[in-house]
Amino acid sequence: MSAQPVPVAETGYPWPIETARLDNGLRIVVSEDNSAPVVCVNLWYDVGSRHEPAGQTGFAHLFEHLMFEGSQHVAKTEHMKLVQGSGGSLNATTNPDRTNYFQTLPVEHLELGLWLEADRMGGLVPALTQETLDNQREVVKNERRQRYDNVPYGDAWLRLLPLLYPPGHPYHHATIGSMEDLNAASLDTFKAFHQQYYAPNNAVLTVTGDASPAAVFALAEKYFGAIEAVPDIPPAPRVHLAGPAAEPVSETVTGNVPAPRIYLSHRTHPFGTAGYDAITVLATVLGSGRGSRLYQRLADGARIAQPDYIGAYGVDLAHAPAPLIVTATAKDGIDAATLTAGVAEVLDGMATEPVTEAELERAKALLTTSWWRQMSTVGGRADTLGRYATQFGDAASAAYRLPQWLAVTAQDVADAARTLNPESRVTLTYLPEEGTEA
Amino acid sequence: MSLVATRPGAGQPRPYTFPAVQRVSVAGGEVVAAHMPGQYLATAALLLDAGGARETEGREGTATVLAKCLEEGTSARDSAAFALALEGLGAELSTSVDWDAFRVGVSVPAGLLPRAVALLAEAARTPRLDPADVARVRDDEVTALRMDWAQPGPRADAALRMDLFGTGERYGRPLHGDPASVAAVTAEDVVAFHESWFRRAGVLLVAGDLERLDLAELGALAFAGTSGPALTPAPPLAVSVGTSRRVLLVDRPGSVQSTLRLGHRAPERAHPQYVPLTLAATVLGGAFTSRLNHLIREVKGYTYGIRADFAMTRRFGRFGVSTSVQTAVTAPALVDTIGEITRTWQDGVTEEELAVARTWRAGQLTVDMQTPGAIASSLATLVVHGLPDDYYATLRQGLLDATVADVSSAAQAHLHPDGLTLVVEGDSALIRDELAAAGIGEIVSAEV
Repeated sequence: MSAQPVPVAETGYPWPIETARLDNGLRIVVSEDNSAPVVCVNLWYDVGSRHEPAGQTGFAHLFEHLMFEGSQHVAKTEHMKLVQGSGGSLNATTNPDRTNYFQTLPVEHLELGLWLEADRMGGLVPALTQETLDNQREVVKNERRQRYDNVPYGDAWLRLLPLLYPPGHPYHHATIGSMEDLNAASLDTFKAFHQQYYAPNNAVLTVTGDASPAAVFALAEKYFGAIEAVPDIPPAPRVHLAGPAAEPVSETVTGNVPAPRIYLSHRTHPFGTAGYDAITVLATVLGSGRGSRLYQRLADGARIAQPDYIGAYGVDLAHAPAPLIVTATAKDGIDAATLTAGVAEVLDGMATEPVTEAELERAKALLTTSWWRQMSTVGGRADTLGRYATQFGDAASAAYRLPQWLAVTAQDVADAARTLNPESRVTLTYLPEEGTEA
Repeated sequence: MSLVATRPGAGQPRPYTFPAVQRVSVAGGEVVAAHMPGQYLATAALLLDAGGARETEGREGTATVLAKCLEEGTSARDSAAFALALEGLGAELSTSVDWDAFRVGVSVPAGLLPRAVALLAEAARTPRLDPADVARVRDDEVTALRMDWAQPGPRADAALRMDLFGTGERYGRPLHGDPASVAAVTAEDVVAFHESWFRRAGVLLVAGDLERLDLAELGALAFAGTSGPALTPAPPLAVSVGTSRRVLLVDRPGSVQSTLRLGHRAPERAHPQYVPLTLAATVLGGAFTSRLNHLIREVKGYTYGIRADFAMTRRFGRFGVSTSVQTAVTAPALVDTIGEITRTWQDGVTEEELAVARTWRAGQLTVDMQTPGAIASSLATLVVHGLPDDYYATLRQGLLDATVADVSSAAQAHLHPDGLTLVVEGDSALIRDELAAAGIGEIVSAEV
């Protein structure tokens, strides 16, 4: 194989960025692009499940649901009807680090989007009722059943986190939370949660697309300017991790799954660091695409793993060493031990068998395309800028990520691989119950 | 100071401009391209007149198996080498099969597009199609299809299709085949399909910053080694609709829900009333605020969701309503659904409803068309349906300008509540008598 040249990217963000801050602390990022009459309105709140104390797991995510149930001047479900009625699309997500809300709209509805977001930032509490809370609690519990409990392997992430992070660490528990904590949630706790964290000085408003910075700044002042800042927002608990785990941990789950599946995982570096950039490239070499080492050696070569269910990826968390997860599912007649040995050999080989130039260039090319795909919509751009403004204090620093991936060397990958020592590895194994194997 | 209490109205809409379309004839084929200045990513897709309609009877699914075989190696290199070459550009191959066309596409940073198109052409024109690989891919496809057909829905869809188009007609059988027809596909079938339909040049669709792209170069790569004149599209089928309603009962013993599929035939995609028809379907069952969603979900609580639409291809269309309801309310849900279709047919739409449908459809058009991939799909629509290059430029305005009279008369002409086929996939022991009592149509057991 000859190495494939990748286009040199001097910047990963060639669009203009302007920023402002309202008196109440709301940070505003605007990136104008007039190529289509579309805008994205995106809000990042710097609150996620890492802020949840023991006994309140799942609150940040349940809260995200409540944000669609009406506010002071917006009736129940009206938010969705208004955005969809204008041809727009919307959603929100919660993870350990943060909660984001976003809608893409035809530009003539920009003000609508800002009004809706301001109303639920500043006016949610008066509209929040016990009935709404009870109703959304049931929705979230159904979501937990559907996505995690009732799906083969669905609870892998819920099981990996406590194996990777010690009790008390903000990443120890999963964002979806526990049924018990959700059942115990009181209306007053939620009102307090909103008043504490859904503050203008704890949020970044990003608008990308066909709107000028001056217009957005003025509209932001008009709609968000009256919302009061919240002093002394408590930071998430900080728990220092002294390097990788000191000993390996394993867990085996026997359940209603069609085939043995394994997850090998390590905690690595926080998202945004050079160490994590090396892990990102390593994961792509190892487990992304048909040309990856895992696919070539275990799905195609040894044929012990199912081709559609093999891969490696980092989970981009920024406030503590983020996980790298390597997973594979056994083909018919292959047992978990064989599969684990095969995957471990390929993973360990990342440290002993140097990554070739061709492998490195393939990984960088895939990362380059995925970066530009994210940048090809106003929604993808807004979320990226909101992330960098929230997590690193500077939206414009988004431009460095792609060049930094492209600067990763084979040596960097080898150095990163050596930290993925079997002695610090988490291994999660799923085995089919007797009689359930397909 | 306090929050702004009044919801802001819409501002002045800015004109939506569909990218300028360029056409280049080269090497026996045609490149149809859209200019997206400043886009880093570019998409190219080879469009071949090799859709599901070309498949032979009993081997439905051949094109889908072929699509999955394109990455199993070419005459020049094996599957591993091909994967490394393609992913070395940051690309992956996307394939799709519909009634009218077979599409193979790639998206990469614009500077890499020529090399990605060369690999795309290598896969499409010279796939290895080793019999052992084809058999393995086919078996995987059968397994996946069996899982899918075990769910509610595919059997109901197949029953409706069969009733509307007839078993003797390719359009009367599922687009991607069923588990039995795919299991019957042989390596020889796949090779023969490729021989028959992948030798002509076809059309290369390109979306991206055309200042960085040489369309003639891309066309030469995509069309190298091809021969034969383009196929002349067959004309649209006549729209035949029955004169009485029929209820087709697909038994699903123990089902707690009934899956409903209502439909009749309709005009093809290029029909001049496409815009008013789309808006009529939006008022009836397209948006969250539609008549059907309001009555069946919000007022009656029979379902989580219900939708109505016109699905249109080059040669035919079909009006359809789909939903799932609790078993106990199967008959009343059908009665109410027929009632709303009848009301829309008889009385048309109101200005208030149409206003929502217009802004929704026009807005969605704008929001959806941001990426090179989305624009390439729009180009495919132009090519497949023979629409003019300024089609999208005028479509948005057409949606915004449609009047109540336009939409109501389209509904009257193309909705046929008395000619509907009503497919019910559910526990027939529990619902048959009630359906008979409802008197909504002759009841027939369907074997699917």
